[in-house]
Amino acid sequence: MRVKLKIGEEEKQFIERVSELSGQDVYKCYQCGRCSAGCPFAFEMDLLPNQIIRMVQMGLQDEVIHSKTLYLCASCFTCQSRCPKGIDLARLMEAIRLLIEPKGKDQFGPNDVPTKLANELPQQVLVAVYRKFSK
Amino acid sequence: MKLHYYPGCTLKEKTTNLDDSTRAAMEVLGYELVEPENWTCCGAEFPLTEEKIVGLAAPTRILRQVELEGGDKVVTTCAFCFNVLKRTNEALLKDPLKHKRINAYLRDDIKIDPLTKKKTTDFAEYHETVWVLHLMEFIKYQIGYDKVKSHIKRDLANLKVAPYYGCRLLRPAGEVGIDIPDDPHIFEEFLENIGCEVVDFPFKQECCGSYISVSLPDAASEASYQILRSARYCGADMLALSCPLCYYNLDRRQDRIKERFFDFTGMPILFFTQLLALALGVDEKVLGLDQHYYDPRPVLSKMHKTEVVS
Amino acid sequence: MNGNGKKKKIGVFVCHCGVNIASVVDVERVAKALENYPGVEFSTNYVYMCSEPGQKMILEKIKEQKLDSVIVAACSPTLHEKTFQNVVELAGINPYQLEIANIREQDSWVHSDKEKATAKAVKIVKSMVEKVLQNESLEPIRVGVTRRALVIGGGISGLQAALDIADHGYEVLLVEKGPSIGGHMIQLSETFPTLDCSQCIMTPKMVEVSRHPKIRLLTYHEVESVSGFVGNFKVKIRKKPRYVNPDLCTLCGDCEKVCPQIVSDEFNMGLSFRKAIYMPFPQAVPGTYTLDIDNCLGLLPIRCGKCKDVCEPKAINYDEQEEIFEEEVGAIVVSTGYDLYTMDHLGEYGGERYEDVLNGLEFERILSASGPTGGVVRRPSDGKVPKNVVFIQCCGSRDTENHNPYCSKICCMYTAKHAMLYKHRVPDGHATVFYIDVRTGGKAFDEFYQRAVEEDHVLYIRGKVSKVFQEGDRIIVWGVDTLTGKKVEMEADMVVLAMSMVKTEGGEELLKKLKIATDANGWLAEAHPKLRPVESLNAGFFLAGCAHGPKDIPETVAQASAAAAKVGDLFAQKELLHEPTIVPVNEELCSGCGICVTVCPYGARELDPIKKVVKVNEILCEGCGACAAACPSGAAQQKNQTDNQIFSMVKAILKG
Repeated sequence: MRVKLKIGEEEKQFIERVSELSGQDVYKCYQCGRCSAGCPFAFEMDLLPNQIIRMVQMGLQDEVIHSKTLYLCASCFTCQSRCPKGIDLARLMEAIRLLIEPKGKDQFGPNDVPTKLANELPQQVLVAVYRKFSK
Repeated sequence: MKLHYYPGCTLKEKTTNLDDSTRAAMEVLGYELVEPENWTCCGAEFPLTEEKIVGLAAPTRILRQVELEGGDKVVTTCAFCFNVLKRTNEALLKDPLKHKRINAYLRDDIKIDPLTKKKTTDFAEYHETVWVLHLMEFIKYQIGYDKVKSHIKRDLANLKVAPYYGCRLLRPAGEVGIDIPDDPHIFEEFLENIGCEVVDFPFKQECCGSYISVSLPDAASEASYQILRSARYCGADMLALSCPLCYYNLDRRQDRIKERFFDFTGMPILFFTQLLALALGVDEKVLGLDQHYYDPRPVLSKMHKTEVVS
Repeated sequence: MNGNGKKKKIGVFVCHCGVNIASVVDVERVAKALENYPGVEFSTNYVYMCSEPGQKMILEKIKEQKLDSVIVAACSPTLHEKTFQNVVELAGINPYQLEIANIREQDSWVHSDKEKATAKAVKIVKSMVEKVLQNESLEPIRVGVTRRALVIGGGISGLQAALDIADHGYEVLLVEKGPSIGGHMIQLSETFPTLDCSQCIMTPKMVEVSRHPKIRLLTYHEVESVSGFVGNFKVKIRKKPRYVNPDLCTLCGDCEKVCPQIVSDEFNMGLSFRKAIYMPFPQAVPGTYTLDIDNCLGLLPIRCGKCKDVCEPKAINYDEQEEIFEEEVGAIVVSTGYDLYTMDHLGEYGGERYEDVLNGLEFERILSASGPTGGVVRRPSDGKVPKNVVFIQCCGSRDTENHNPYCSKICCMYTAKHAMLYKHRVPDGHATVFYIDVRTGGKAFDEFYQRAVEEDHVLYIRGKVSKVFQEGDRIIVWGVDTLTGKKVEMEADMVVLAMSMVKTEGGEELLKKLKIATDANGWLAEAHPKLRPVESLNAGFFLAGCAHGPKDIPETVAQASAAAAKVGDLFAQKELLHEPTIVPVNEELCSGCGICVTVCPYGARELDPIKKVVKVNEILCEGCGACAAACPSGAAQQKNQTDNQIFSMVKAILKG
């Protein structure tokens, strides 16, 4: 796989938007990988958390917004609590989701709840998952 | 003594055992729990981007209601509610502009006077005077373990309990957190002081899968499995926790964990308030022990039936 | 007008500094604008005033125009004030009749509008003319030197500095708070990149120090306080009672055998035990037992007294008392070393919960032939030889958020050494290193690291470990390999953490007593990061070793020798010259309020209790001017920076 690297206006804008929305300085990351090492859902991810932030640094917008990693983050903040540079990746993930929201569809909406579970699910899980993954 | 208490939605429906045990235990300790009038859902998730700032309105409204009713603190047991209320409070305190914006949203609230049936819109602002506390903090810092100990009626020394913090009580570091995220002790202290044998296990602050259990159930099953496996491996009889969602993932979903992991042996999951109530001698019938997927009663029968003279 | 009522003849020399100044400031216009300013005799500009031809021109113009004061409008005075002072001195002018007008850092570098910048430059130079008009000619203050040095800390840096100063022919007091010299280096097994035995190269140095006729070795002593100033310090030293007379102790060890008190052994990093009466390690210098009173059952013979009873040479004396004595020295070398960041900061790696998770110094002891396992790699919990050892780098380092922001510098190399030595001892074992970057900047360092990978097959995994935990007797490491993009879980029998180096705990208190400057991380601050790396900002103090920041042995030794050479420079002077731009007291104006005493950061001012006026120690005064600014009566006036001068300068600037 070869990626053509170009840091033009569009890429810069993407990096700036992500930084602005998340309030996180992506340039602080020095790629130690600790976020990925401790992430409870890294085993399901196509891109590891550190790769997401790396690709944001490189302006690789397409790779980032098509990654299923964005919908695997449980906002458990394990990465945030151990990041040596104090970067809050959960905020970064949320910012990227927000960025593609207007174009995309619900990743998980009311129609996606299995009917047999509807009765047993605690209210808070539904509120939480809609807040995170639907428009 | 009256104390403001925010139960949150799930406690009124799916985990009434958490609500009931909290009330019963606090009554023994001399507190009457008062819910803020007309409370709503807190939103479950704290908004992580500035664009979603409107998500702060609901938790602020709850805090304002406590303030209007003259409360200076509000306690919660649900880890999600605690997380959202506390972070909202901190966020408003740290950022005066944000505080102003949220107060502006609240001004649009309309109240209907129950007597005159007239609409009033002169709603007050929230002034940041409420202190958000998790019940475990309230017990440690406001009631004191000594007082709790003096009320103990049942000996729980035969119960090997693994304290499970999960995420919301500890993280994000620096914003919320009833203890140091990677070296917490408050839950252990709590359990020790109500007489349980504490079992330390390395997954106590790992994530159970949270809301991922609805969107990607298999991934969450694996996370929950690891937690229960580790607690069992370290010799625990049961897991204690404070979050209704963790409770759902770790108790109710044990059938699905078993489908995926053949070596899985289940384990009873109890709310910390149920253990507290048991220790304080509350009638077991009040505690909703029959609502659990994994019935805790056989393990609980290991308790000494004799009452302790304190 | 100068002090004598004679009219001054000032020369103004405006520098282009290549394009540094000239591209923003119209230097010709500045020179022109000053030509007719009152007091100015001559004004010109030149491309590089600090160059040889530039200096020559100043010299010639002084003679030709019969100038008696000079203003150079150029860069900051910290760069070239001395240069130009020397030039005017050559021409027979007092150096304090020279002033620098800073039109680079304070003008051309911070502005872009040429018009405004030029106007500002003119104002800056005019204000300096006003100052020079009132400048006095000053002579440096002279003071004698005590040619005797104090070295604090008996690790490799202190030993090297002490030996070098002593070899220069000066007397040295070497104070070490512990019972033996040797520091951390004597605890190490083998040293990178040559793998020579640390003890073998260290012990001869220790013996040399103890036998050197010019070195007075004061182990089990601590520095209580330091007063005075460069060349003339007074040091109070506290002798802690050892309760054993080193001259009588024959090292028979009888006392140790009968002592009932067993305590954790610091030399072996707590991996073994010692008695309350002990010798820290067999090669300790001085070779004597020491009674550790904190762990002794008590000195009353009724409570124990066993050691004294068995001591045949009667070396043990329970009546020994603490003593405090004063010594005079001219220079102080601070070589107080480092500590390791403690593991309890890293809860995610178990804090100090797991016995088989060790720090680097603990692993050194396990590797050392004189260590608790006799050099066989065994893990502390059950004595098994570990088959899988995981090394984790940057533990507490390079972490701006929760721990220490800096790189501890030596961990990459010692971890490579640890992994290599482990593989030499346990050839069928596996060594894995988790790293972020491997930094091997040093002679033969990278070759060493490559050898670990190529010959000893140490597996390097690029990624910082998130969590280490134990279940049963399995230690599990959660890491990541960022090169393959895989989250990694690994089982280990033993984990070694490369803990960050930090300032010493007790050292902090000492540094406060010395009133010596430190940086944001508590390391000693050097006077200039490039040009004065072994001198403290506080005159007369010199820095050696890790007290100044993480460094390896060769670098420590080099710095210690450099510090010793600087001490030699100081001692080679007949007398010391001190800047005369101090702040004296006009006793007639002084009300004795004492405000200046409290604001003085150098302790140079004190209230005379009889005359009720403030007295100034001219040598301690660094001329910072804090007192002059604080003095409500105007009694404190800095030489060549008087209130009148400052008002004239302000007026010149406001007038345009």
